[in-house]
Amino acid sequence: MAEAIRYRKERIDRGIKARTDTIYLLSSLRDMVYLFLPRFLPILLLLLLPFFVRGGYWEKVLFYSCMFALLALSWDFMASVGLVSLGQALFFGVGAYISGGLNYYLKMPIFLTIPIATLGGALFCTLLLFSVLRLRGVYFSMVTLILPLLFAHLIETLDILGGTHGLLSLTPFPGGYPAMYLAIIGVIVCLFGFRKLISEDFGLVLRGIKDDDRVVMAGGINIHWYKAQAIFIAGAVGCFAGALMTHYYQFVGRSVFALDFTVLPLAGAVLGGPGSFAGATIGTFILVPLSEALRALGGLRMALYGVILIGALVVLPEGLFHYIERRYHQFERDARV
Amino acid sequence: MLEVKNLMVFFENALALNDLSLDVYRGEIVSALGSNSAGKTTLMNTISGLIIDMKVKEERKGGERITIMGEVRFEGEEILSAKPSLRIRKGIALSRERHPIFPDSDIEENLRISTYLRRDREINKTYDFVYDIFPPLKALKKRRAGFCSGGEQQMLSIGMALMTKPKLLLLDEPLLGLSPAMQNSLIQAIKQIHREGITVLVAEQFARPLLPIVDRGYIIENGMLTLQGTGQELRENPEVRSSFMGV
Repeated sequence: MAEAIRYRKERIDRGIKARTDTIYLLSSLRDMVYLFLPRFLPILLLLLLPFFVRGGYWEKVLFYSCMFALLALSWDFMASVGLVSLGQALFFGVGAYISGGLNYYLKMPIFLTIPIATLGGALFCTLLLFSVLRLRGVYFSMVTLILPLLFAHLIETLDILGGTHGLLSLTPFPGGYPAMYLAIIGVIVCLFGFRKLISEDFGLVLRGIKDDDRVVMAGGINIHWYKAQAIFIAGAVGCFAGALMTHYYQFVGRSVFALDFTVLPLAGAVLGGPGSFAGATIGTFILVPLSEALRALGGLRMALYGVILIGALVVLPEGLFHYIERRYHQFERDARV
Repeated sequence: MLEVKNLMVFFENALALNDLSLDVYRGEIVSALGSNSAGKTTLMNTISGLIIDMKVKEERKGGERITIMGEVRFEGEEILSAKPSLRIRKGIALSRERHPIFPDSDIEENLRISTYLRRDREINKTYDFVYDIFPPLKALKKRRAGFCSGGEQQMLSIGMALMTKPKLLLLDEPLLGLSPAMQNSLIQAIKQIHREGITVLVAEQFARPLLPIVDRGYIIENGMLTLQGTGQELRENPEVRSSFMGV
């Protein structure tokens, strides 16, 4: 019988990828560009963007995108420890109210309220979630889903911290650029910091907890302590975003605990591809401007996020970033079997 | 009954099965012996069709691309691209490695789930058949499967495959993690299943208890067939003795 020639598709790392994986010294320009372009291009773009959208409506959109990117990064960080949160609004709201409260009641200046809100808020959230760290999977998610709603209702019914009116006329940022650049640098630092952190020994333990927490426990590691640290880090990022937003709008109200601040970052992370941090950032920077452009639809916006979320899960479950990354590093060809 | 011809399975660029051909005739017990990573489970998944599902899922995820080539014929019919459910209807049932069962359901419910595809009136007879082969299951009928021992779960897993009333039963490492006594009683059960007219294909690493009852055996190494022969021939082969019987 004549043997038919058969082919199959094969995926191969690009030569330049294999070469640049082990670069420790300066090598050819092409290798350097291959290595640094995907890292520096987004940074450069982010740093230059404020000049292009100066003073307009789109400046607010850019700021908004950064806020959601920070929340998405914080969600992604928790998710990479296996803590799937449905309440990023908790961090955001706590940060916002702490900085707003300190500024409104104690007249603290902006350069004190933001750091205090970031660290204090993170500590507060960690202590709040400490008792439920033993919960896994969907039970943890449910608790995180309820907490922001709880706070919103507490503020409303007890009429504390401004009640339904919120805290008004807080100290603004001096000019437009400081707030914008704090947000952008925050995103960049978190993005690359998290990517670094998760590949270090500390991140190894965190990823281990996600894969199989019992094995990590059997290794003599206190997983609750590590989970608490992870929540503190994620919480600090979320609180930082909340504090920035408060001073940017010079206002804080119950809406900071709204579902938007939970759903949009999650949708962004899922669209971009969870687990890579870059994916979460790309996802939110696509979704937020898109949703602003669709603002005319009114109430349908939230429905649209839902559709995008489902569509992304069905069509590209790996996420945009993983897809792009694969295309960048690998190519396909027919191989003879 | 079952013909596998020039079967090749790639997981991305890794070759799991390389040009593998084997035959199982009606009324035989055939064993596929191989060490870890030889490709036994891939072979079982390919024959039972589970690999089609894995392939689709990986494709969606953009993960490993699974390429399957070659021929798998069951009773003369080409089934390589058929879905697992279709293969069950045709009479191929697999009891997977590490005896996966539904831990929150009791033993009887587990068995009932496996009759899902059946529409005939003889389901009750099959329960008796399974309880006859594995008497311990009858006593534990109402026990939650998750609370059962490894041996009992293995029996249940094989029992579930039997509930589909297969013509060809595929067993993937049925002896894994069981005590020698339990291994012996399982071997007796396999013999009994075979006596009832069901053809059996067993993938296993530990050949000592198994070889005495098999008609023929294939030795798989790195996805390739290296040796085949009757149970007797394999038992006398010095290499098989040292690799798979621990002698």
